[in-house]
Amino acid sequence: MLAIRDLSKTYANGVQALRGISLDISHGMFGLLGPNGAGKSTLMRTIATLQDPDSGSIHLDDLDVLADKQAARQTLGYLPQEFGVYPKVTAEVMLDHFAMLKGVVDKKERKALVEALLRQVNLWEKRYYKLGTFSGGMRQRFGIAQALIGAPKLIIVDEPTAGLDPEERNRFLNLLAEVGEKVVVILSTHIVDDVTDLCPRMAIIAQGQLRLVGEPHEAIRSLDGRVWRKTISKDELAASRDELNLLSTRLVAGQPVIHVLSDASPGAGFVAVPPNLEDVYFGELRRAAAPVAQAA
Amino acid sequence: MLGKVLAFERRLVLRSPLFWIVALVFGAIGFGMMASDNVNFGGGIGNVHRNAPLVVINLLAAFSALSMLLVTIFIAGAALRDFELNTAELFFTTPLRKRDYLLGRFGGGFLASLGVLLVAAFGLWLGSKMPWLDQSRLGPTPFGAYLWAFAILIVPNLLFIAAFVFAFATLTRSMLYTYLGVIALFVFNTVASNMTANLDARWIGALLDPFGGDALREITRYWSSEDNNTRLPSLSGLLLGNRALWLALSTFLLVGAFRLFRSDREGVRLFRRKAASAVAETPLASASGSAITLPAVRLQSSVAAQWRQFLHQSWFDTRSVLTGAPFLVLLLLGLLEMFAVLTFSGQIFGTKVLPVTSHMTIVLGAGLNLFLTIVLAVYAGELIWRERSLRVAETTDACAVPNWVPLAAKLVALIGVIVIFCLVSVLFCIGYQLFKGYTNLQPLLYAKIATLAMLPFVLSAALFVFLQTVSENKFFGYLLVVAFLVIKVALPLLGYDHPLYNYGSGPQLRLSDMNGYGHFLWPSLIFRAYWGALAAALLIVAAAFWARGTGMSFGERLRVAKARLGRGRSRIALTAPLLVFVGLGAWIFYNTNVRNTYLSDDTRKEQAADYEKAYRPTKDQTQPRITAIKADVDIYPDDLRAVVRGHYRIENKSATPIAEFHVELDSRIKLDKLEFAPHSVAKADPVHDVTIYKLDTPMAPGAAMDFDFEIEYAQHGFPASGGQTTVVYNGTFFNNGALPQFGYSERRQLSDRNDRRKYGLPDIPRMAPIDDLGARANTYIASDADWIDFETTISTVPDQIALAPGYLQKEWSDNTPDHGPRRYFHYKSDTKILPFVSWLSARWAVKKDSWNGIAIEIYYDPQHAYNVERMIDSTKKSLAYYAKNFSPYQFRQVRILEFPNYAAFAQSFANTIPYSESVGFIADLNDKDDIDYVFYITAHEVAHQWWAHQVIGGNVQGATMLSESLAQYSALMVMEHEYGAGQMRKFLKYELDNYLRQRATERVKEQPLALNENQQYIHYNKASVIFYALKDYIGEDTLNTVLAAFVKAKAFQQPPYTTSYELLDQLRAGTDPKWVPLIDDLFDKITFFDNRVTRATAKKRDDGKYDVTLDLHAEKIYTDGVGHETKGRIDVPIDIGVFARGADGKEAHEKVLLLEKRQIADGDSTITVTVDAEPYEAGIDPYNKLVDRNSGDNRKRVTAN
Repeated sequence: MLAIRDLSKTYANGVQALRGISLDISHGMFGLLGPNGAGKSTLMRTIATLQDPDSGSIHLDDLDVLADKQAARQTLGYLPQEFGVYPKVTAEVMLDHFAMLKGVVDKKERKALVEALLRQVNLWEKRYYKLGTFSGGMRQRFGIAQALIGAPKLIIVDEPTAGLDPEERNRFLNLLAEVGEKVVVILSTHIVDDVTDLCPRMAIIAQGQLRLVGEPHEAIRSLDGRVWRKTISKDELAASRDELNLLSTRLVAGQPVIHVLSDASPGAGFVAVPPNLEDVYFGELRRAAAPVAQAA
Repeated sequence: MLGKVLAFERRLVLRSPLFWIVALVFGAIGFGMMASDNVNFGGGIGNVHRNAPLVVINLLAAFSALSMLLVTIFIAGAALRDFELNTAELFFTTPLRKRDYLLGRFGGGFLASLGVLLVAAFGLWLGSKMPWLDQSRLGPTPFGAYLWAFAILIVPNLLFIAAFVFAFATLTRSMLYTYLGVIALFVFNTVASNMTANLDARWIGALLDPFGGDALREITRYWSSEDNNTRLPSLSGLLLGNRALWLALSTFLLVGAFRLFRSDREGVRLFRRKAASAVAETPLASASGSAITLPAVRLQSSVAAQWRQFLHQSWFDTRSVLTGAPFLVLLLLGLLEMFAVLTFSGQIFGTKVLPVTSHMTIVLGAGLNLFLTIVLAVYAGELIWRERSLRVAETTDACAVPNWVPLAAKLVALIGVIVIFCLVSVLFCIGYQLFKGYTNLQPLLYAKIATLAMLPFVLSAALFVFLQTVSENKFFGYLLVVAFLVIKVALPLLGYDHPLYNYGSGPQLRLSDMNGYGHFLWPSLIFRAYWGALAAALLIVAAAFWARGTGMSFGERLRVAKARLGRGRSRIALTAPLLVFVGLGAWIFYNTNVRNTYLSDDTRKEQAADYEKAYRPTKDQTQPRITAIKADVDIYPDDLRAVVRGHYRIENKSATPIAEFHVELDSRIKLDKLEFAPHSVAKADPVHDVTIYKLDTPMAPGAAMDFDFEIEYAQHGFPASGGQTTVVYNGTFFNNGALPQFGYSERRQLSDRNDRRKYGLPDIPRMAPIDDLGARANTYIASDADWIDFETTISTVPDQIALAPGYLQKEWSDNTPDHGPRRYFHYKSDTKILPFVSWLSARWAVKKDSWNGIAIEIYYDPQHAYNVERMIDSTKKSLAYYAKNFSPYQFRQVRILEFPNYAAFAQSFANTIPYSESVGFIADLNDKDDIDYVFYITAHEVAHQWWAHQVIGGNVQGATMLSESLAQYSALMVMEHEYGAGQMRKFLKYELDNYLRQRATERVKEQPLALNENQQYIHYNKASVIFYALKDYIGEDTLNTVLAAFVKAKAFQQPPYTTSYELLDQLRAGTDPKWVPLIDDLFDKITFFDNRVTRATAKKRDDGKYDVTLDLHAEKIYTDGVGHETKGRIDVPIDIGVFARGADGKEAHEKVLLLEKRQIADGDSTITVTVDAEPYEAGIDPYNKLVDRNSGDNRKRVTAN
């Protein structure tokens, strides 16, 4: 189990990336949802030992991650947000290289492991191809393969589906689901569906603070009967933004469709809809932004 | 739009710290070049002002070539920025026109580079205004020269480099390949200028130099100090051609780059690859939730595991470098550069040397030095920043691998580069040797050479890794590396030349075939270990600084590094090499500065000045004269030690009593014993090597006494220079300069006028005036003896032969209690000889021959038998010619002795000629068309047995004309009889060029030949041309008759010694009076001819002959010592020649249709001559016998009329 306590980080340019984050994460997929710049990657990198917080602690079971980074690195798999590879190196050689760096120094073990991993992510056929020729999805699957080296107890996956087409994304999430059965997997993303589809537990982070921690279903249930939808004209959009507790706006066939949070029907034309995680997410974001908006 | 883009670029540049750093560095270099008295670039020496127009132009030209790197950074940065920052798509989707975009980018980079050079020029100007500069060495600020340099050189050069880089960057879209292109350009430049160093091909090199430097050098090659100070080069001829060529090429490159530029992500593909694009997808096998099962593995982090990780990572990195195209390209370019070095180094008079293995070290040393350094600098940056620039770092940093592993692996990869480079170089050298038919391959020596050559590069690699690791980004790292390289080169130039504080340096490691690495090896290794320890410490600091994770500022990394190094084990790991570093440093200091004396250049000059101030007043004090030298010399080669038990017989030859002896002895030599008449020490001055002894009873006129001494010469430890070259393991060579000397030595005075002013010394003549009868009391080689008796016994180790002038009386062996078996040689001269003797000892092979009962012996290194026969042949022919034409040979033997290449000369002692291994023993004489300089040098040295050892001049101006110049003439005659006039022309061309080139660097004042002040370019190079012309006009026999009479009158004379004027008097008396003006021009004046053909036409006559009409220009110019010219009148006949080409059309096989001396009118004139066959070329002074600064226009193709 991963226990994060009071994690804070302020960058040299004054940006407060983390503000007293405390979080317990147990086995299974854990979704970390937040907009760009919310502090997700800072949190991910801090857990992955790539960055030191100003204060706070991280424990993985009994292991103090910040104090004993080398030990932590042995129990951790990490797929960074921008996963780069040597473009001229083949998949097999590259994976072998990562395995070596992780500490699998025994040649036979390494060979077997590399084969198993490549088969698992279905890249065995492509093992002699240079990584520079891989598509985005293949590269991300390769990234998962390297994150699985050495049976890590904790796997950190930072925005893995950004830039993947729907089919690639599906394939990738299926793979992730298989991985997440035994170990802690933290999936950071700004795509709500990723979390909905995969994660039994989740957190929403905005402006360096946790806004919500819990199970997606529960969070969704808390909005039961309070989400209303209406298709409006573009002229009405500004007015509704000022007057209503607007969750989201999206265009459907060129017409703005708004979701509004309200205990009772906000007015004529609104239809109650079953809430989904996106409504939860936008609700939290609005709440997070509200005090700032008032102050401004 | 373009204006906006440019403005944007300008703002970007002006805000970039890189621009300001580089500009400041360039400005500081410019300032330092002008404002530091210790730095002399660009030719501001002697009478040339430090800020003379040509000096300013040369400096700015150097800057413009130097700015290659700079332009690369700015232009490539500008061209590639949008791709590197992934903002390209942003730009290309804005409605910006391609032309505006490209011109903006290009213009921005170009203006930035120009800005930096403006700052450099400003630095130069500011430097010249500094109050501490010697005002007499400055002229008025040459604003015209600044303008000229920018207009003719800098702007076109920047334009060319910028266009070149821009084209490369546009085509390849890769910074690395762009750098490679620049390096290739650089190699092309050096190779081209090497390949065309040959006299006849230089104009090609001048055209091919992209920066115009060679063209500029070519047109200002023979400029006098006066020219330097006042003239601006004219934009014509070669320079104009060069500028036009490269401007055209720049335009072509720019247009090409604009055309080929594509705004899509792919860039331009030079080679179409097979479509290997995205790999087809395969569906995931098991999409349904079967949990992942993987084989169990152990994660290890033991020391053994770390070691294996290190080996793996090393191989991974090394392979990535070695298999990359850039490395292979660099290697090939390196080999090209080596080929140029191999082909052209060591040439004398255009003749090559044999590819002996020791000569190959030049390739591994000098040839590769710069090149491999560049490779390492580039790859250090690429490797250290590789993971971060590919964004692999976040993944690998999260792996449980210790910091030292990637760092050490990068270093190993760099070392791999070094090893491969050296290995390939060695194989290349061996291949070259075999190709040249040279089969004495020495693999073990190669192994040694290569290993030693690699060490300094490994040290550089370690430092580069360190600099890149602590640096904030790759460019800043490169800047640090460049700064280091500049400092490394600049320190010795600024007078800070102790290797103890110049990272990676050490004493020179000399390799001689005779002596191997000798005693130089040990100090060199100590220095390598010393810097190696520092490198180890730096690497440990680098490991602590190793950036792991993201977004750490330098401050944070510094904090982390401090914390990491504070820990117990790290602290020990850092302390241990630092202790070794300090310990070795102390040991080195003890050796170089305590056991030996280290003097910086400044201190040495200051001491020379102090010596002059203290002792010059006693210059004319009478001192005793040595009349006999007898010496027992024990040479211990293995101990680098020699002991001399010497005996002088000294005499008071003057009319006044001598109360004090002024005795000088090199402070490195220990005086163990000194015995002569009762005396006391009046003054001991060890700093200036002077002791004044006061005799209890003054030495009466005419009295003689014994002067016995015992001295010991030994190397203790090692000096900063690495070691002396006097007593060595194999090839000991020293002369009587190492023995005590009497009286003030003018030779020790500072001669450079600027040095003299700096140290508060008045201007004094370099040599006494020719009419100074007092000075003629001495010969120009010794001030304390005339002709002496000489006898010596030398002992050495059993496997060496010891030699000295004189005839061998006895040779024996003995077993000494202290030093084991020894070999003894007793030599004695049965006639009086010059007080100039030497002792040598080495393991020699001996070749004996004789001529007319005179023994000829060559003592040579067994590896160097190649040219021994040529030396014997030359000796025989020389003896024959000189004995017949001058006087009989005074000795019964001639011996030539090879000594190591620590010096590159041959020197004539009485019947004994030490001859360096590098000036003839390894000359490659296989090509019969090349100049046989072995034959020539041998003839020159043998001639000294007459011109020095029979007739020697007094110590006044012109003295060396009687020895060196006459030896040149004598050797030329022997050579002409052996090889014919064709070879002479070739030889004299080099002599003329050397004379004209070196007179431009005269530091004091050029003198006419008869009054030359030991100026080599006059008494050797100019004298060859002068004497050959003289012979041509008055005839060989006439000249030899005069010389024979001169020898007869002056040989073995007592003081006052003869002068060049006495010879010229005899010459004027012994030749037709019509040649007197010629003799005046040749010997008493500095005379130039400007002879040329402006038009040559031929008309076939009815009788089949041809009338050739020549429009001529003939002019004679006199110049004073610094280049002020006055016009003379043509008053001697000049050669007119008409030539036809042979069947092969080569000049070497031309047919002379007409060659005769004709009286030519001064200035322009027209003459017509008649020849029998169809003419090809015609000319005035067609063989360049007269000194003419433009010898190329003396001939012209004949056109039909």
